[in-house]
Amino acid sequence: MIQLENIHKVYRTKTIETTALNNINIHIKKGEFVSIMGPSGCGKSTLLNVMGLLDEPTSGKVIVADQEVANYNSKATAAFRNQTLGFIFQSFHLIPDLSVIDNVELPLLYRKVNAKQRKALAIQALESVGLKNRTGHFPNQLSGGQKQRVAIARAIVGQPDILLADEPTGNLDSVMGNEVMDILLQLNQTLNTTIVMVTHDENMAKKTHRLLRIYDGSQVA
Amino acid sequence: MIRHIFKLIWNKKSSNFLMLLEIFLSFIVLFVSLSFVIYNYRLLNKPLGFESQDRWMVYLNDMSELDSLSRGQLKETLELELEQMDRIQQIAFGNYAAPFSGNNSISGDDSGGFLIRSKLATVDINFAETMDLQVTSGRFFDDRDYANPNYEPVIVNQFFMDKYFPEKNMIDSIIVFSGDKQIIGVIEGYRYNGEFTEEEPMMLQLGHPRDNNLGVMYIDLQPGTTAAYEEAVNKKIADIVQDESFIILNLEDQRKQNSRSTWIPIIALISICTFLCINVALGLFGILWYNINKRKGEIGLRRALGAHTTDITKQFILEIIFLTALAVILGIVFAIQVPLLKLGPLEPINLYYAIALSAAIILIIVTVCALHPSWQASKIHPAIALHDD
Repeated sequence: MIQLENIHKVYRTKTIETTALNNINIHIKKGEFVSIMGPSGCGKSTLLNVMGLLDEPTSGKVIVADQEVANYNSKATAAFRNQTLGFIFQSFHLIPDLSVIDNVELPLLYRKVNAKQRKALAIQALESVGLKNRTGHFPNQLSGGQKQRVAIARAIVGQPDILLADEPTGNLDSVMGNEVMDILLQLNQTLNTTIVMVTHDENMAKKTHRLLRIYDGSQVA
Repeated sequence: MIRHIFKLIWNKKSSNFLMLLEIFLSFIVLFVSLSFVIYNYRLLNKPLGFESQDRWMVYLNDMSELDSLSRGQLKETLELELEQMDRIQQIAFGNYAAPFSGNNSISGDDSGGFLIRSKLATVDINFAETMDLQVTSGRFFDDRDYANPNYEPVIVNQFFMDKYFPEKNMIDSIIVFSGDKQIIGVIEGYRYNGEFTEEEPMMLQLGHPRDNNLGVMYIDLQPGTTAAYEEAVNKKIADIVQDESFIILNLEDQRKQNSRSTWIPIIALISICTFLCINVALGLFGILWYNINKRKGEIGLRRALGAHTTDITKQFILEIIFLTALAVILGIVFAIQVPLLKLGPLEPINLYYAIALSAAIILIIVTVCALHPSWQASKIHPAIALHDD
């Protein structure tokens, strides 16, 4: 489902060159739930951004959902991201001026789905994360766990093949973190969604199928 | 997308309120200023009705001590002698209700069944040709009119006709206006008080050069005659009238001087409008930059969820345009009451133009100001935007 071959990512300024990813080779199968661990600044998020086509590698090949996306123009890349990928972030990234349902509808907005269908799909997604009764609330009226569940609903509303989660439990206490993790596991099991999750939490990582370890931009396990 | 943007604007109504108020007030200030400017611009573009270029006006000295025959002879001599000068084409006489002089003679009469009020000026038979008046129907005064024993012949302007006798042919008809008057011709217009004055009902009466009140002489010169020629004319007139208390005025200079008092407030208002527009533009620019920086995370998120760069540009531009449109619509609702309820002294058409122009200026400024920040917003790298937030 995701194939990274010889991925290098180097950030260059006038005076300094920083290697964020160094010869990364990863192959993630469909339906796999993979966690990525490593110390802060080791390149985990950069790796997730490369998988999510939010960032381009300096060299190497990225194949996502059997598509080699390097030749895609920006419009095609945006459409591909919308159709194939779902994102979950540590800081939720909910738009504070939009209600819960409007936040969840966002990916469908860029897919030109009509309003009625958008609403139906968003309610369905919110129901699957147990927040059907919060559709009219605004993010500032929700707890951290609820916010992350809204973010998950937003990530799955378009039924993407791949979910990319960047420390989804990082801002939550253990109870809420476990709730979120349970939802992700359930999505993986019931919908066979491929999930790649960056985490600092060993316990969360143990619940996934496979653990990749990154250290100083290189894959060590 | 449009509904989505409306939702965003509505949900941020408290933070958008000040911006809405700023645009609304700017619209109102622009509307008021432009109403005045447009009103005067339209006046400026209307024909004066006479020519001021290459025309001189001579205020002759008082001839009341002379008898009418001597006055007539003196003016006839002036006409003959001056018209023999190489650069002088035509001479005419008129009373003191002269162009740009500020002198007015107004009369009213309702004995004909309805009130007629009109400005009056007395001129001789050469006046139309000398001043290039446009006769649209009938004819101008000629020698026959001095001998008309029955009715006093008059020439009126088109405005007079439109106001008191609309869609009627009144040529050779008799009207009651300080006695019986026969309208023998209609002139296009005669805004002798200046180019920033409204056309008003105007009636030209026939005067004879021997009349004491025809104390202003008009000289039609060949095109390109310079001020240096004034010396020769001055000498010639002085030789004839044996006096030097007359005044020669260049009619074009008089026109410019007369307009200056209106140009000053117009320029001041245009300056205020320009300053206001620059302020609005800078304010909007600042607000947009602030908004974009504040919403970097949102931009990154939208890109991650599948928005293309054009979607981001479109969103930010539409947000500000919708907000502006809302403020402008509110402004129009207020502004349109002025012409509808006839609240001001200005003709409604000026106000409608001012509304349309104010709305267009505000929308153009806003769109131009939104273009660059919105384009910059679309260039924000999604990974960096998500990381920064």
